[in-house]
Parts: sequence; structure tokens; C-alpha cells
Amino acid sequence: MIELVSVRKRLGGRQVLDGVDLLVNEGETVVVMGPSGVGKSVVLRHIVGLMDPDEGDVIVDGISVPGANGDQIRGIRQRTAYVFQNSALFDSLSVRGNILMGLPPKWPVERPKECDLMVAEVLEHVNLEPDILGRLPAELSGGMQRRVAIARAVIGNRRYILYDEPTTGLDPINAGRITELISRISTDVKVTSVVVTHDIEAAFQLGDRIALLSRGKIRAEGTPQDLRTSPNAAVRQFLKQGT
Amino acid sequence: MISEMVMHAGRAGMLFAAVIKTLPRVRNCLPDVWRHAKRIADGLPLVLTMGAISGAVLAQQTSYQLNPSLPDSVIGVAVAAGVLTELGPVLTAIVLAGRIGAGTGAEIATMKVSDQIDALLTLGRDPVLELVTPRLLAASAMLPICVLLADCVGIAAGHLFSTMLLGVEPHQFLAGVKEQYHHPALIFSATKGFLFGIIIAFVSCYTGLQARGGAAGVGRTATSAVVSIIMWVMVTDAVIAPLYKTIATS
Repeated sequence: MIELVSVRKRLGGRQVLDGVDLLVNEGETVVVMGPSGVGKSVVLRHIVGLMDPDEGDVIVDGISVPGANGDQIRGIRQRTAYVFQNSALFDSLSVRGNILMGLPPKWPVERPKECDLMVAEVLEHVNLEPDILGRLPAELSGGMQRRVAIARAVIGNRRYILYDEPTTGLDPINAGRITELISRISTDVKVTSVVVTHDIEAAFQLGDRIALLSRGKIRAEGTPQDLRTSPNAAVRQFLKQGT
Repeated sequence: MISEMVMHAGRAGMLFAAVIKTLPRVRNCLPDVWRHAKRIADGLPLVLTMGAISGAVLAQQTSYQLNPSLPDSVIGVAVAAGVLTELGPVLTAIVLAGRIGAGTGAEIATMKVSDQIDALLTLGRDPVLELVTPRLLAASAMLPICVLLADCVGIAAGHLFSTMLLGVEPHQFLAGVKEQYHHPALIFSATKGFLFGIIIAFVSCYTGLQARGGAAGVGRTATSAVVSIIMWVMVTDAVIAPLYKTIATS
């Protein structure tokens, strides 16, 4: 379970998060939706300890992330995969090397055959052909890079997957495919997911629950149906802008 | 300005402490050490060319400015002393600052601005062990070798120029080199190479890790890495100069 309790964060003189409360239950997919630059990615960065809150707390599996020691942080990160907005694939590694980075460092040396099977399986899962394994990330399209990043996240059988704007920068067809892929992973792998996006269509397709982040706070939260029929002015304005 | 310097000193100190902390786990990154060592070795032709040119120029300048009453062996003395104590180590460091320092700074800066460093952290990896320690070990091992090879080529080039163009008898030049040469000079040269190797790797990694601001930031980082490395090489060169006197007279 992931819980953000009254999280406040100031960046570059701006109060980005101003008391964010968010609960993500085991097995569910929560979408944090909101306009660009509102601090959605900052929420994800707090969950894996890439940022510490100025005030408030972030709790993952009962452990306070800001107060965690090195081993506890490593433990949280080993249970959590993070799919970055720009994929963040390692330039110098092949697709195979990038996917293997999702496994413990010693595995490729100690159990190479098992690792090859896992890579083949995960590649099939994200609909990529095995012939791309030797290519470098720079030789792939944006959509393929995003799939490789998702493969790297899925291969380690993590408990949580955090997606940072997974469809941003992709054409509508690829964005649709990635949304469908995330939805399939959430169902097949039974993983707990947090997706941040400003893509309303993707948000409604993916979320068991959706939280609208605006001006530093969660302004509304509920099922996709709740939000569609919400009388909340912030929700109506955001949905109107998106259509 | 002063607060910025203090901040950089603090951050650099923390990075260095983090590198020291990774040393017991260094076995995990030995393939990377080997890869970076090979990359440094790729710069060897340029290093040796610079070494040869410096030896040749030193021989000529000494010859032109030498008092005619002095023996020609003085050219050998000047070439050996100049190459072993200064030109060999410093020119090698400057050449590799441009070649390795700029490349490393830009590579790590690109990783920083494209979230690859954060990706390493979220994958439970240690960026210091994966990126900084292997480069530091490779540079500190390879620089002394590069420096010693540059020293040899520099003295050989000085010998060649002196005998072929300046009319110095080979035995006179070699007598001068023998007079100047002693093991501490060689140890001093290799020690400088070791220190300059640490500076090149550490400063370029540190500068890369501080990068921000997209492609422009990466360009600024590469430039800043080279300038900082050259400055620190020269400062270190000045600071450890008295050490040679101590070594030579002990």
C-alpha cells in the first residue's frame, strides 16, 4: 500500500505540492490526472525517494520513505518499477541490456538461460519482436522505446509500477497501444499501479480510481464514473479543456 | 561566489566519500573498469605524439639558448628533466582532459538530464558504483602508464632531433640523460600521472552529475569539465612540485 499524507513540496520558489493526500490500495490502478506542470511527476518521485517532502509523509508498505535508511529505500525500490516520461533507457546498452537492468545485477551472470527466457517472455508481453534485442535505444521509435521501458519495469515482477506520463510524445495510435498495454499488464500481472497523465482518455481507460491534482492539492477523487458525473468545478473545467 | 565554492566542495567531498564506500564492492564493476581503461588507451597515439613533439621542441630550444661553452650533454639533461618532471605528465593530462574528460562529462550529463541516473536509482543500482568508481580506477591505473610511455617517447624524440638536426653526438645526449635520470624522477612522473588520472575522472564525473538544462546544459558541462580539469591539474602540479625535491634528495 502507498500513502501520501499532507505532502508539501516547494521547488524553484513555487509551492508545487500543498498538502497532497493520496491512498493507493494493493492491486488497484490509481491515475493522478492534471494539467501539465502541476506536480504529478513530483508525486511519483516522492514515492521512490527521489525527492523528500518539505512536510508530510510518504508511506510505502508501512515504511516512511523520507525517514527510511539505505537498506529500506533499496527494498522499496526493488519492489517498485518506475517508467519515466522519456523512457530513460540507457544509451550505451542494447535493448536486451536495458531489459536485464530490471533484474538483480548478478542474475544475468549466474542464470543466463533463465534470464534469456524471461526477456523473451516479457518482450512478447509488450508486443516487440526478438530481433530488436541487439539494437540500441537510439535506433528505436518513441513507441518502441516506451515498450522497452515497460518491459524493463515488468521483468522484475515488482509489486508496484509507477508510470510517468506514459503516452506523452506519442502519436494517437501508439498512445492507444501503450494505454492498452498498461491496462493488460495491470490485469495480467496483478500489479499495483500509479499512473500520472494529462491524457484524459488514457486516464479514464486505466484508472480504477482517478485523482485530480490541481494547484498543489488533490481536488477530486473517485471512480471514472464518479468523475464524469462530478459537479466539482475543477473537474468539470479540466474535462472541458481536455475535450 | 564563496558560498557556491563551499557548496561545490561539500558535494565533491560527499561524492569522494561515496566512491571510497563503493571500493569493497569494486569486483562488481571490473568489466566496466576494463572498458574505460581501453577507452583511455585509445587516446595513446595522441598522447605519444604530444610527448614526441614536446621532447623535440625541448631539445631544439635548449640547443638554441645554450651557452656555447657548455657541453652538448646539457641538452640531454634538459630534455630528461623537462619531460620526466613536467611535460610528460602535464601534457598527457591535458590531452586526456580534452579526450576523456569532455567525453565523460558529456556522457554523464546526458544521463543526468535524460533521467538515466534516476532510472539507475529506481532500479536499485548505485550510480557511484556503476559510473564513477570504474572511471576513477581505470584513469588512476592508466594515466601513470600513459605518462611513462609519453616520457620514453619524449626523450627518444629529443635524442633523435638532437643527433639528426642539431649535430649532437649520441653518446653526449645519452650521458646527459643518464646524469639526470634517477628512479625518483620516474616515480615522481608516475605519481603525477596517478594524481592527474584521479583528477580527470573525478572532476569530469562530478561536473556531469551537476548538469541540468537539456542539450545546452550538456554542452556547458563538457566545456566546464575540461576547464576545471586543466585548472586542477595545474594547481596540483604546483602544489606537489616541492615533493620532487624531497624525493630526489632523500
